[in-house]
Amino acid sequence: MTAQIVDRESATSERKWRRRSLWSLVLLIPLSLAIESYDSVKALLGDSDLFPRRVAWGESARFGGSDWKLTDLRGAFGMSNLPPDSVPVLADFKVKIGDPDLQNRWLGCKVMLIDKDGRRWSPTSIVSLKATDNVQTCISAIFSGAKSGDTLNLRETFLVPKEATKSVRPAVGLASERPHFLLFQLEKD
Amino acid sequence: MMRKLANIVLLLVAVSLCYGLQLSKPHHGDLIGPIPARGKLGDTVVGRGFEIRAEKVEFARKLKADRFGDSKVLTTGGIWAVVTVEFAARAQSTTVAVASWRGPTGLTYDQTERLSFTDGLLPVAIDPGLPKKARLIFELRPDEASDAVVLVSEKLMSALDSQAEIWLGPVAIGPDGLPPGTVDTLDMTQPI
Repeated sequence: MTAQIVDRESATSERKWRRRSLWSLVLLIPLSLAIESYDSVKALLGDSDLFPRRVAWGESARFGGSDWKLTDLRGAFGMSNLPPDSVPVLADFKVKIGDPDLQNRWLGCKVMLIDKDGRRWSPTSIVSLKATDNVQTCISAIFSGAKSGDTLNLRETFLVPKEATKSVRPAVGLASERPHFLLFQLEKD
Repeated sequence: MMRKLANIVLLLVAVSLCYGLQLSKPHHGDLIGPIPARGKLGDTVVGRGFEIRAEKVEFARKLKADRFGDSKVLTTGGIWAVVTVEFAARAQSTTVAVASWRGPTGLTYDQTERLSFTDGLLPVAIDPGLPKKARLIFELRPDEASDAVVLVSEKLMSALDSQAEIWLGPVAIGPDGLPPGTVDTLDMTQPI
């Protein structure tokens, strides 16, 4: 008699634990997937420019420890020896250095142009226009030894198809700020 | 007795099923290898980061190339195969750096590095909306010319990224062992 009661009790508790275990899987499986993929997701986010932070025309934005401002975006029409229907585009920035540790904060610096369809252009090496001595690129600025409070003039040159020139906007991405990046608006926006 | 027999049959079925699964299991290298985007000569083959269209294939015994202003003729023990292609970037600027020629027997030839200073060779930087022509140059055995596939990818280790596979079609081999259209010298100094 007693043995039967014990049997019945252990059967109910077994069933209870079985149910608990099954329900805990609902939590544990997504949790283990999340832990497993954490590093990969982190690497993916740290490597891609995903979320734009819009910067209105004429304003500057704190990014990678410095204040970034777009000063000019213009096409250099009428150049020869270029692929058909392509236009060189120059993007000029003024950057006021805050944190002078550019070799860490500006690592992986990437300036690009993004059009209305989301297409992205990287700086070109086909076109090289003469610039004054104090104009640098983002990468060369990293090694310029700029101090806090200095203002740097950065210029990047792109080659874009003529149809895209109207809708392209300059953008800047830095490894220390990814997945966020700056997307500069123009005066007409 | 019947039950024992049924169990043995069931066991055998399970064993053969497991063996079949093991045999048909894709190799690790295939699982994480490049993802093929296939097409033939003249087709636009669309990969993840770039598009490519092979326009023509030419064969030659010698190549003429410029090196630091000097004209140089490059000979070969086999033949030169020159594939003229047009690239286009898709969503963002990228660089296409790697091409190889896979012959009918599976022998694979990397693009030559003997003309490293000539214009229009890989690696080429490509931008969205700005198609660009390039030449893929291979040095190969004449019997690897027919039914070849040209493999093009952005990087050498294109794991889980697309690789264009362009089938170039059959090429007749003449009595001299060369494809009939083989020219003596192709001038690589000419614009593409």
